[in-house]
Amino acid sequence: MPEEQSQTIMAIDELQAIIQRCQILEEADFRGEDFNLFQVAGQKCLEDGYAAQLLEVVQNEKNKLCNAKELFLGLLEQIEQTSGEQVCQTVMLLLQPLQTVLFKLQNKKAYSVGLSLAMIMNQLTPLPVPYTKQQMQEDKLGLCQCCNAVVDFAKPFVNEVVKSMEKSSECSDMELKEELLKFCMKSLKYPLLTAQLEQLESIEDHPFRRFATEIIGILWDMREFIPLVFLHHKGRSPSWENEEFEDIERKNSADSLACLAYLMFVHCFGIDCFPMVFSPSYLLQRNMTHIEVLLKRTEESVLSKGLDLFESSLLRMEDNSLLHQYLEFSDFITVPQNLVKVMTLCPIEHLRKKSLNILQLFINKFDAEGKYTLFRCLLKTSNHAGVEGYIIQNIKDQIHLSLTKVCDNSWFTGHHLISLLDLVLLLPEGAETDLLQNSDRIMASLNLLRYLIIKDSEYNNQTGVWTMLAKIEQNFLKPLHVGLNMSKAHYEAEIKNKKENRREAHNSNTVCSVTVSGEKMPVMTTEMQLQVLHSALFTFDLIESVLARVEELIEVKIKAVT
Amino acid sequence: MTTDEATKNEGEVQAAALAERGEDITPAQDRGVLKIIKRPGNEDESPMIGDKVYVHYKGKLANGKKFDSSRDRNEPFIFSLGKGQVIKAWDIGVATMKKGEICYLLCKPEYAYGSAGSAPKIPSNATLFFEVELLDFKGEDLFEDGGIIRRIKRKGEGYSNPNEGATVEIHLEGFCGGTRFDCKDVKFVVGEGEDHDIPIGIDKALEKMQRGEHCILYLGPRYGFGEAGKPKYGIQANAELVYEVTLKSFEKAKESWEMDTKEKLEQAAIVKEKGTMYFKEGKYLQAVIQYGKIVSWLEMEYGLSEKESKASDSFLLAAFLNLAMCYLKLREYTKAVECCDKALGLDQDNEKGLYRRGEARLLMNEFELAKCDFQKVLEVNPQNKAAKSQISVCQKKTKEHNERDRRIYANMFKKFAERDAKEAASKIGIEKEAEKAACEKGLKTPESEGRESEGHV
Repeated sequence: MPEEQSQTIMAIDELQAIIQRCQILEEADFRGEDFNLFQVAGQKCLEDGYAAQLLEVVQNEKNKLCNAKELFLGLLEQIEQTSGEQVCQTVMLLLQPLQTVLFKLQNKKAYSVGLSLAMIMNQLTPLPVPYTKQQMQEDKLGLCQCCNAVVDFAKPFVNEVVKSMEKSSECSDMELKEELLKFCMKSLKYPLLTAQLEQLESIEDHPFRRFATEIIGILWDMREFIPLVFLHHKGRSPSWENEEFEDIERKNSADSLACLAYLMFVHCFGIDCFPMVFSPSYLLQRNMTHIEVLLKRTEESVLSKGLDLFESSLLRMEDNSLLHQYLEFSDFITVPQNLVKVMTLCPIEHLRKKSLNILQLFINKFDAEGKYTLFRCLLKTSNHAGVEGYIIQNIKDQIHLSLTKVCDNSWFTGHHLISLLDLVLLLPEGAETDLLQNSDRIMASLNLLRYLIIKDSEYNNQTGVWTMLAKIEQNFLKPLHVGLNMSKAHYEAEIKNKKENRREAHNSNTVCSVTVSGEKMPVMTTEMQLQVLHSALFTFDLIESVLARVEELIEVKIKAVT
Repeated sequence: MTTDEATKNEGEVQAAALAERGEDITPAQDRGVLKIIKRPGNEDESPMIGDKVYVHYKGKLANGKKFDSSRDRNEPFIFSLGKGQVIKAWDIGVATMKKGEICYLLCKPEYAYGSAGSAPKIPSNATLFFEVELLDFKGEDLFEDGGIIRRIKRKGEGYSNPNEGATVEIHLEGFCGGTRFDCKDVKFVVGEGEDHDIPIGIDKALEKMQRGEHCILYLGPRYGFGEAGKPKYGIQANAELVYEVTLKSFEKAKESWEMDTKEKLEQAAIVKEKGTMYFKEGKYLQAVIQYGKIVSWLEMEYGLSEKESKASDSFLLAAFLNLAMCYLKLREYTKAVECCDKALGLDQDNEKGLYRRGEARLLMNEFELAKCDFQKVLEVNPQNKAAKSQISVCQKKTKEHNERDRRIYANMFKKFAERDAKEAASKIGIEKEAEKAACEKGLKTPESEGRESEGHV
């Protein structure tokens, strides 16, 4: 007889022997040790993969073996002890007997249901969530199937809660309801927060979309859906009396609530049950907390949900309709700052691009004062020349709209504008500013200045640029000249040096090495170094040419006046 | 006629009636919102801006199709009036209603969802029809904890509010139990009302008021003078107060991002002293506000020179440690732990940080973690007697808890065993009865046969 088969027989035999022994014992004599033996034998069966047989044994014996509570603890322990690839299999096998046992429990049923669900979810959480279409179809570890099996397992208990709620206006089974609520919150965090939830053509029954629908269905049936959507995780929840629990719950619930908002507003799950009278500004305000939670994360699956939620909330608004007062909410300032971080630091290109688009969308929705304030804030806090350049372009656009009277705009003309231009038309560190690093910003500023000089006639002086001219020359144009001269001289000297050194021996005096993603970058050859230096010179030339043009224009206009 | 057609007809009739006879209730008189009263209310008062309003409603599109109904959800819809939470038509419309009234509203898209519509049900540029019933309304609960209720007598102007640190000029009258105990005009900095015998609730409420607003504030004890009461005014401990406040004018404090580092460091010194002063007087909520400013100014500050960095870290460390102390006094232990974590992030062997975190954890019944913290304190400073005694407290409490658990579980299994024994016993009892009956009838039951034979083994 092959060894495997004999092992099966051994394991099952052992189990049955123990069970027979236990049956003979009367209940009072049934000790912990005996139960342990039962467990160990059962565990061995599971480990060796003979779960089906174990199940049969358990099912047959359960009525005679021991009372429901003992069996319940036993099943739980089985679940607790599986790991890795067997988790989903084991859980799915044991769900049915577990449910039966839970129905039999009289005392502490709610607690036990909660414990079961918590235990199961704990075991599932370490498993990776299938993300691509292929991964979901393969479902290698069985997670997709298992999650849906678990939610089906929970349904009868939900029905109990619903029935008891129908009988009396105050739910008599509060404890069971709370346990189910905890399960839903946990599910929103795992697996839903990291799952791919887009409608995929080739997948008919998208397992996570189904799971999401079921979870929301449970929340709705228990009348907790709308209260949760409105639950501000920074506000006070009336259900918790103990403040300490409230704080902990709140922190844990932030992710779940954010996921719920995403499901509802981006994929319209449950939106049929949601009141359709809220103003889009208010919805944006409520969603900002969730957007902030999601944008702070770095995983693509979570970050992209934050961007989607932000975009979808903004698309519900008309341009220029968002009142500037909303910027007094701290998250209306921190969220665009988070967006800037994504734009500049996220390694995933399509997310960087998307966040830039969303920033522009956000800017467009604000009224004039809002745009003005937002520009000021981002100029001061983004610490990134590319972003600053982008904002300065936006400022130019707004000035253009004001000058061509498309909108009446006191914020982009006159003294408000002067104060804003103070932030734009300068070199942050005077003549010592690193022109290369700040080239985006400097070019944008020069272009803005050029635009102002051409468009705003010196007689009109709507933008105030002509009044500011002396200051602009002092803070911006003069230091820029100095800086350019210094930089060009410096780089030209470097180039000369390199060329001379190249004639001498190739010395590999690497001052420092660069490692990217664990790979050390190849040392730059002299040719490559020269290329870089030349391109720097090119940038300086570019800046200088625009600068020259601007000064030319100024001179022309001033001559015309005098 | 199909149901759809019938609905459409009904919708058209109602819309037509509104267009013809409806009252234009828009301030701009542009017929953007038209109203007809279906059933007048039973009281004279209308809800005020900021009030919490309870309604039932039904919403239909121009083609008569229903897109929403609160009755389908079996729950009234609740919102704050006049705050831009709902579409403009509603903020205007509901404000004209009286309690118990039912009315129809016809809303042009400019007062509803405009060109953006509202996915998935409301298309772009949709005119909406509503039937609304005003069930009830009450004062605004400013912090959703019942601590401060506001009823606005006269709405202010503009939209901005004083922020923390703003300078405000107000007129104030305080009442307790119907008697007036305070009446004055006063100028002060929000968060420092205590310096003028003004309870923290007023500071908090001011941050939600508008210029020119006149309102009545109902303060619960937590937002009033608290346990200390105010002997100067004859106020007992934990008294409920009513204040009538007019915000005459204010000047906002600078937002964090508007200040440069030098300014922040200067202000941090001032604010730290203020916080310490409040702390010494036992005014922990006010102290938290002051120390909190340091955190919000400096925690995310970038681009500091080395000297500035040192100064900033020193302020932050002091702020976190002091905040932890305040939260311990206020019994907000999770927050205390958070602050200690941050302090220790700046200085990982900070004795005070470790000690206070240990205290907080002990009070949260996390005995093991608390013990770890106190042990670390001793590593840093072996002379710390307080830490030593705290460790033995932890050990004692751990033991007590384990004892308690043991007792509970022992009881639990004992109860199960007893109950199962009872069930078994009663089962046997029933069988015995059946046996007896059977014997009397001269029959033998199968069980009795089996048992007899067993007994003979």
